[in-house]
Amino acid sequence: MQEDFHYYATYCAAYIAGYSHEESLDIAYSAQFVDVCSRTLLSKIKGPLNAATTQLQLELMDARTDPVGLQDITRIWSSFHFLPKNLLAEKKKCTRHYLNKYRLICGPNGELVKKTVELAKGKPLQSVGIAMHVLADTWAHANFAGTPSLVINNTNYSFYEILPDGTEKQVRFVHKASAPDDLENTVYTNSLYQSSENSIMNLGHGRAGHFPDYSFAKYRYLPAWGEYEEIIKDNPADYMKAFTQMIYAMKFIRGENGSFETDAYDTESVSRWHDRIDAIIRKRQLIASDDWKAFGRELSGQDIDDFETGRYFEEYTSAAKENRDDTFLGRFTRGALEHKGMVINEIFKTGNLLAGFSKEAIMKNLEPSQEVGK
Amino acid sequence: MTIFQRIKNVFTGLVTLGLGILFIMERDNEAYVLIIIALSLGLAVRAVRDIIYYFTMARHMIGGKMILFQGVILLDFALLTASLSDVSKVYILLYLIAIHAFSGMVEILRAMEAKRTVEGPWKIKFSHGIINLLLALACLLFIKNIIAALIIYGIGLVYSGIMRIISAMRRTTFILIG
Repeated sequence: MQEDFHYYATYCAAYIAGYSHEESLDIAYSAQFVDVCSRTLLSKIKGPLNAATTQLQLELMDARTDPVGLQDITRIWSSFHFLPKNLLAEKKKCTRHYLNKYRLICGPNGELVKKTVELAKGKPLQSVGIAMHVLADTWAHANFAGTPSLVINNTNYSFYEILPDGTEKQVRFVHKASAPDDLENTVYTNSLYQSSENSIMNLGHGRAGHFPDYSFAKYRYLPAWGEYEEIIKDNPADYMKAFTQMIYAMKFIRGENGSFETDAYDTESVSRWHDRIDAIIRKRQLIASDDWKAFGRELSGQDIDDFETGRYFEEYTSAAKENRDDTFLGRFTRGALEHKGMVINEIFKTGNLLAGFSKEAIMKNLEPSQEVGK
Repeated sequence: MTIFQRIKNVFTGLVTLGLGILFIMERDNEAYVLIIIALSLGLAVRAVRDIIYYFTMARHMIGGKMILFQGVILLDFALLTASLSDVSKVYILLYLIAIHAFSGMVEILRAMEAKRTVEGPWKIKFSHGIINLLLALACLLFIKNIIAALIIYGIGLVYSGIMRIISAMRRTTFILIG
């Protein structure tokens, strides 16, 4: 997902869930900040580097892909952008190494989404924003894994966009970073094919470019792991679910709902704007920020400031070290560390070491998979 | 390109460079044997790696059989290369020239593909392919004068080694993820 959904749509969802304009802005800022909080940024503001929620292209270019380097990449991308759907997923006749990667495939309504939302309850708004980013991405990034893997994340020529009139057009992928995606001719930029299993080119949905991030995109393709079974991914329907699930989740966090259950959506709250939201989601455009912004203004009657990465840098850098945890970014980094720790721990508990050892496991002196009886 | 891939490329470049110099300086049987051993070993390692990768991971992947085929073909080449030690020098040289020409052709085709779909330094790849192909052709033209052919082939190896080291130093291309 892009800034349009993580920032503006999250603002709208937060406002509908009952947060004030200012609170909704803080949640939206935190949700979008997940996409920019790299180690480069953290070292610039002298923040904790472990709290990185993303990696820049330049950081990835030089990222190590030995086991330790892969664990570092997996910790960030699986925790914040490709939350695994089922850490105990099974597949017959495959090696443990394959299974470990297979189990990291992202998808909505998994147990980890529930834990993510529950973790944010009672926490600052920054944690709510982080949770909303993670939740929203489970919809857009479904069927790809947050670890470099050719056998999981590769795509091939069998990739077709299903247009609104029902016709299909083969998607052509090129590797020209500076050229914008060509929606009219269905030409999209993707990462290069690399036959090396752990090449950084095979991380997440790189092999499908930004295409899965577009809310209007409906497509059918053969996922590398799918045993030749096609998947039809309907982003317009999924993005609506993401939006209504965010509202449902935030109502739970605010205490309006007693519990957070997976596969539950607050469709009632959006019923009067359903067609409006649906139209924004289905509009074929590179970025829908203006439309979501206009909708947000209609909802709250307030102007929504554009996302500015450095909005809270000064507050953080000028604070004394012992007071930094009380700043906006201090609360964000704490929230990010808590969330990352939870995800790593859950992965580790299933005996999967692709994300490395969790602090909790080390403290409790747990062996991998000890808690799930394996 | 990760730091380990860079180190690997620099190492391969240095070995190629060393073999090229050896070919130019020492035009006897030892140089041939060394080239044959290095080539067959390199091919065999890649082949075994591909085959293991297929059976442990890629057999579950769409199009994964290509990796198995690639491994088997490489293994065939490795065995064929290793069996060439008793053959006349001219045939060994012809075989090496064919491999050099083939890799030049592949380089050109990849550069053409890169020009079409990839943003980046396709011209370097293209010129590398052309030079490889030209060197192979020059070797063929001078095949009757075995010493001249050997020197040309040696120059080709030196050139490939230097290019590999240079490419290991370059910044890698852009990647894209969510």
